[in-house]
Amino acid sequence: MASIDLGAARGGSIAETASVVIIAAAFVIPWISQNPAIYSLANQILIGVTAAFSVYIMLRMNLMTFAVPTFMAIGGYTMAILGLRHGVTDVLLLGIASFMVPALFALPLGALVLRLTGVYFVLVTFVLTEITQLLLFEMPGWTGGANGLVGMPAVTLFGIELGDNRAVLLVTTGLALAGALITAAVTRGLRQHFAAIEENELLAQSLGLVVWHYKAFGFAVAAGVSGLAGFALVNMLLTAHPTSFSPLSSVNYIAYTIIGGKSTMLGPLVGGALLIWAGDIFALRGEFSQLLFGFLIVVVVLAAREGIVGTVARLLALLSSRIPRRSTINRGADALGAPAATESQP
Amino acid sequence: MEGIVATGLIGVSLGAQYALLALGFTLIFGILGVVNFAHGGFYVLGGYLAYSAVTYLGVPYALAVIAAALGTTALGYLFERFVLDRLIDDHLATLMLTLGLYLMMSSGLLVLFGPQSPAFSFPLSGVLRAHGFYVPIENLVVLVVCLVGILSIYALIYHTDFGRALRALADDRAVATAQGLRPKLLFPTAFALATGLAGLTGALVTPILSLAPHVGDPVLATSFLIVILGGLGSIGGATVAAFIVGMVEAFSAVYLGGSKGALALFVLVLIMLVVRPSGLFGHRVRGA
Repeated sequence: MASIDLGAARGGSIAETASVVIIAAAFVIPWISQNPAIYSLANQILIGVTAAFSVYIMLRMNLMTFAVPTFMAIGGYTMAILGLRHGVTDVLLLGIASFMVPALFALPLGALVLRLTGVYFVLVTFVLTEITQLLLFEMPGWTGGANGLVGMPAVTLFGIELGDNRAVLLVTTGLALAGALITAAVTRGLRQHFAAIEENELLAQSLGLVVWHYKAFGFAVAAGVSGLAGFALVNMLLTAHPTSFSPLSSVNYIAYTIIGGKSTMLGPLVGGALLIWAGDIFALRGEFSQLLFGFLIVVVVLAAREGIVGTVARLLALLSSRIPRRSTINRGADALGAPAATESQP
Repeated sequence: MEGIVATGLIGVSLGAQYALLALGFTLIFGILGVVNFAHGGFYVLGGYLAYSAVTYLGVPYALAVIAAALGTTALGYLFERFVLDRLIDDHLATLMLTLGLYLMMSSGLLVLFGPQSPAFSFPLSGVLRAHGFYVPIENLVVLVVCLVGILSIYALIYHTDFGRALRALADDRAVATAQGLRPKLLFPTAFALATGLAGLTGALVTPILSLAPHVGDPVLATSFLIVILGGLGSIGGATVAAFIVGMVEAFSAVYLGGSKGALALFVLVLIMLVVRPSGLFGHRVRGA
């Protein structure tokens, strides 16, 4: 499934650069718009996309994770507790903490759960989110229980308070950009290693790759990126509450990644942006957005395994290869060849 | 003493419901290798089908339960035959497909019936009283139906040719197919049987507990718990684990309060998954 040929690697690099640039472009929103609805939508998209990057990183290793809300909760509550109990408001410090604490948490956890693969990994991460939810309610001393944590001081950057609408969006954008850069750096730097693990873990191991190191590292980074999303979410909502990290919210992040396309970083970005925007259109009838998610997941899995981005890229490639062609003899073979290529996807 | 017995009876009754749900779930995994995220959805759908039959068609409750079971069986058959079967060997793809189906089912019910719980109550009420403890009749009826259901499943799986065929397919699909068994016919039937069980449970239990579009979520989580505890794909394991989970839930709800019992169960299951992924009774780990 993982193709390590140069074309794919180049496509991946382009997608990574494009993703980082697009997210960085969100910095201009506060200067071109005053509309609070747009701010809110941009915040939601950036947070959702950051969380989806976490799913994307794990999918590099052929692991489907449901644990994103767990690490989002750890990141979000870390930020809330530091602000509320210890008076830490510096956005850089909080950002580092909300990345590092989930990542450090993920290391011992990874030692336990990364031995599982496939369906068992899915189940164990699903169980983790359920445990997280229960723990958030059962540890009121730390988490405020069912009331959550409220009243955090506004975050600051070099002493400047970042409390209003515009500043919140800037903080979210900064965190999303950090998440995107980290995701790009890790998936680019370890592309071959991850591809080897995805392709055939046993073979990779027998060829001398210390698979465990890379899986643990990938898991920790994915957890850290989720933590950044959790920080941004708590900062936007002004409260850290268990309902923000519900077990089934992980389905959304998986949906963004799968529907957008799991083969490049643009997938979670495009999927997240389109689906959250679509959800916003249905704002008054939220159930329709879930209906749409479900339908799109089925359609993508059945008919377009590479998701929106992969399908569009394939159509573009098909078009550009068609145009300069002169001979008519090859056309029939090509038309037959194209569907066969999609069929062969396992 | 009476308290313990009464709580025990609640536990047994919960356990029987869970067993019926988990048997379907574990059958689907054991035979098809599919983790059915839509299992809770079929449970809720069963509840709403029975509710609609009683409320809009004026059908007696007993018939409505049968109709709900048949309806969910039919939907399960069609879904497996025309959607799932195309990618049956790709575990993550089938997982995503059932997840998509679940999102569509729960939000579809939300669109049709709205978020509030409809007035749907069990037709029998009253309490049996004996030696100082009390048993609600409705729980007793559910318990009996569930036990009959569980025994029928066992008879079907272990004492009929159909069951032998299913077990053969679960054991080694290639060999079973070479021997002339037809997965194209048996897979949808097995899936339909399991979803029918979920629908039956939903139709029976939702009038007592509650009926709302989202009640499938905890059902899914509980099915996961039981099936992991008992060993994915193990029929005996699922049955025993269902009663363990039912008992723990009943006793922790009465004596501990809050969600400590659930937390303990989840942690137990997490440890189980890590230490012994094949579960309490699982002897064979599917190459998933």
